[in-house]
Amino acid sequence: MRDFLFPTIELTRRDFLKVAGGAAALLGLSQALTPQMAKALEESIGKPAVIWLEGQDCTGCSESFVNSLEPVTTSILLNSISLRYHETLMAASGYHAEGARQETIKQEKGKYILVIEGSIPLAEDGKYCVIAGAPFKEIVRETAADAAAIICVGSCATYGGIPRSGPTDAVGYLFRGTQKHHEYDDVTGNKPVVNLPTCPVHPERLVATIVHYLTFGTIPPLDHFLRPKAFYGFNQHDNCERRGQFEAGRFVTDWGDPSQQGYCLYMKGCRGPVANQDCWKRRWNQRTNYCIKANTPCVACSEPEFFEWFSPVYERQYDISVPGIGRVDIDKVAASVAGATAAGIGVHMLASHIKGKRDDSSADTEPKTEAKES
Amino acid sequence: MTRIVIDPLTRIEGHLKIEVEVENGKVVDAWSAGMMARGWEVLLKDRDPRDAPYLSSRVCGVCEGVHTVASAQALDHAFGAEIPEAGRIMRNLFCSGLYMHDHFIHFYVLSALDYLDIMAVASYNGSDPGLRALRDKIAALAKNKDTSPFTPRYKLDEFCVTDPETVTTLVSHYVKAVEMKAKSSKMLNIICGIQPNPATIMAGGCTATPSVEELREFRTLWEEQLDFVENVYLKDVIAVGTGPLLPLALNGFGGDMNPDYHGNYMCYPMFPQDNPASEADYSFGGSNHLVKGGVIFNTQLNATGAVDYGKITESVTTSWYDYPAGVDNLHPSEGLTKFNPNKPGAYSFIKAPRYDGQPMEVGPLARGLVNQFPELMDLINAGAKPGAIARHFCRAIESRDVGRAGLAWIDRLIELASKGPIVGMNDKKVPRSARGMGVWDAPRGALGHWIEIEDHRIKNYQLVVPSTWNASPRDEKSVRGTYEQALIGTPVPDVDNPINLVRIIRSFDPCLACAIHLIDPETNDIKVYKVA
Repeated sequence: MRDFLFPTIELTRRDFLKVAGGAAALLGLSQALTPQMAKALEESIGKPAVIWLEGQDCTGCSESFVNSLEPVTTSILLNSISLRYHETLMAASGYHAEGARQETIKQEKGKYILVIEGSIPLAEDGKYCVIAGAPFKEIVRETAADAAAIICVGSCATYGGIPRSGPTDAVGYLFRGTQKHHEYDDVTGNKPVVNLPTCPVHPERLVATIVHYLTFGTIPPLDHFLRPKAFYGFNQHDNCERRGQFEAGRFVTDWGDPSQQGYCLYMKGCRGPVANQDCWKRRWNQRTNYCIKANTPCVACSEPEFFEWFSPVYERQYDISVPGIGRVDIDKVAASVAGATAAGIGVHMLASHIKGKRDDSSADTEPKTEAKES
Repeated sequence: MTRIVIDPLTRIEGHLKIEVEVENGKVVDAWSAGMMARGWEVLLKDRDPRDAPYLSSRVCGVCEGVHTVASAQALDHAFGAEIPEAGRIMRNLFCSGLYMHDHFIHFYVLSALDYLDIMAVASYNGSDPGLRALRDKIAALAKNKDTSPFTPRYKLDEFCVTDPETVTTLVSHYVKAVEMKAKSSKMLNIICGIQPNPATIMAGGCTATPSVEELREFRTLWEEQLDFVENVYLKDVIAVGTGPLLPLALNGFGGDMNPDYHGNYMCYPMFPQDNPASEADYSFGGSNHLVKGGVIFNTQLNATGAVDYGKITESVTTSWYDYPAGVDNLHPSEGLTKFNPNKPGAYSFIKAPRYDGQPMEVGPLARGLVNQFPELMDLINAGAKPGAIARHFCRAIESRDVGRAGLAWIDRLIELASKGPIVGMNDKKVPRSARGMGVWDAPRGALGHWIEIEDHRIKNYQLVVPSTWNASPRDEKSVRGTYEQALIGTPVPDVDNPINLVRIIRSFDPCLACAIHLIDPETNDIKVYKVA
């Protein structure tokens, strides 16, 4: 047996400290809390039971969770949580599987964490997703009623995601796009609900949310879409490594032109200006890469408008939302700014122009002419 | 006569329900039903065609890459886009990297639990420190009566491996496989931006611009994956398949064991080696592909024919969809997706695809038989029959083969990157109207995307995916689909423990979720079984 085959199964004190420290940093908490969080992880107070439901999902969020390397997912499963029901991972099938869910609801009443992956189809009394003879929308209701906390992973479980564009009236647990639908108000009550949208969920955001819950028995501070502010309180465009290219008016208009590599992707449909997340900092798969770094536009999959109102995804958008101003038609504004065009001017300068302020810090450059495609 | 309903059949992707009728300890009839629909083809209608690869990657988060590539190929075909070499290689690497981890995860995480007495780990008394640690961990969990997700499960039978040393080793490989999968995603992310659900693959190629340094890291991670495939996964499959499970391999369990099994196999070509010489070779000729396409009928292994994509049809007689009156089946390029969840006589959200009017098995076994994998042929010549074990065997063999092929592709990419920035895209405008088709043989089998564009918008988009072929319900002639046929004749000595059924279904690696209940047809009561 070769060395590399030793599975990392038993976490050391150092591993726990590393995970806890990472989670604390991620959540914007004081590092002084790290030992306390490590202890909670290590002792895994009661190793809380988790029921993970999959509705109109693609299993992408489960896959993403399994992609966790720090800590390795199996060590989370063996050390920190007790995964009682997960259709893709559990040993049991059919009756045994269904029984495991029912039993957990009974035995762990008011103590288990419910994770929802995939959207919930409400049309035709839920016939578009039926598990073990029951419509998924009823399975969610039954499981949510006695849960301690509910975590919606991915954009589908949060807002309805891509399936919301289809014919099945697919919704998230609380939201249909930007609006609340009140389907589960009676079973939700005052339970904490955390939304972790993106397509798929980011494993670090999920693990950090669980660690927070294990440590403090509460969930981190949330924004109005119930997303943890620590992960979703940042605008992609404001923090983008290609922001300088935007300000300078250098845009990718032809992916086949090597001289444009590294330019701003706004003309290729980038929704960075309306996307709120920390992908630019956190990146994906152990901080390896993320969409913009890999030369593709951000599609703002963290937002309730995804995907319906952002389609077509590779077509530039003509108006941009500026905080405190609302939506701005970039071309119209540009036309009203003498001698400047949209391509040569930053959004903040436009915003200050609208406000009637002067902002001389933005440099004007000669705009590139770009042909709108198709 | 006992009717068994399996709902949900777990450790697959998606929601699938399997019903069988058992008489004298054997399955005499079977129904396979997909229980979830999102209306993907409906929501693609009237959209910008360039949205299709992005959306296709979200059809399935497990085999997202192959969907994206098949969809991008359909657009390439429609747009008339020739792919730059770097783009083609990145697509190949993305799919072959996915192949490796998808297959070993399927073996260890999704299938192995059906053949292992996991509690045998507690009896391990060898000297390996890693395995001892694992034993202590599992023992501690058992002591706290908390061994989920490994329990509850079905009862053991004679095909379960119970030797503590073997079981403990395999469980440690299960744990390692999960870690290797995460590392594979880190590796693939270098060229796709986000894993799962890639961002960079679209019409015209691949937008990623990896540097030489990133590609060298990619190669290092690739070698580690290949090492695991060659020295752990493949060896485990051979050891288990020719050891404790040899009887199942010899009698064609889950395949030829049923004398009426159709024995029809089909696969599409994949991994193009250079740019196509002609349009006919573009996305579906196969002359320059690493893995060739072909069809075999009635287990005639020496009479492989070419795939004629014009012979593919889909019927909806027993599916929750409506076709116009008098229409029994349609070619995917003319396909129609009109839901009717209240249709009488229908039992599945899956359509019934047929090739030349016949149900087909698609997936690793089909690829192995069409391409005549030498090790598979050795196994068959030694008396094994096509079935569940042969499917697992083919997965391991092809993981090794595509892993080895990948090294040469990475080296070529490094060579290209050292000459200047990598350009993997040929940016084309959306045509006013066009048709396109893209095919690839996904880990789970033959995958086809068909697109029709009108006024720069998607007029019609149809996918015929591997699990549609395999999990197909009955067609207009009442001919059963592949799962349904593969289940017939399966021994179910104990109707309270239908472990053989889930073994067979999982050998196909389904991509939808299912479940199991047992129904007593006399009283129609659903029996509830306590898990020991």
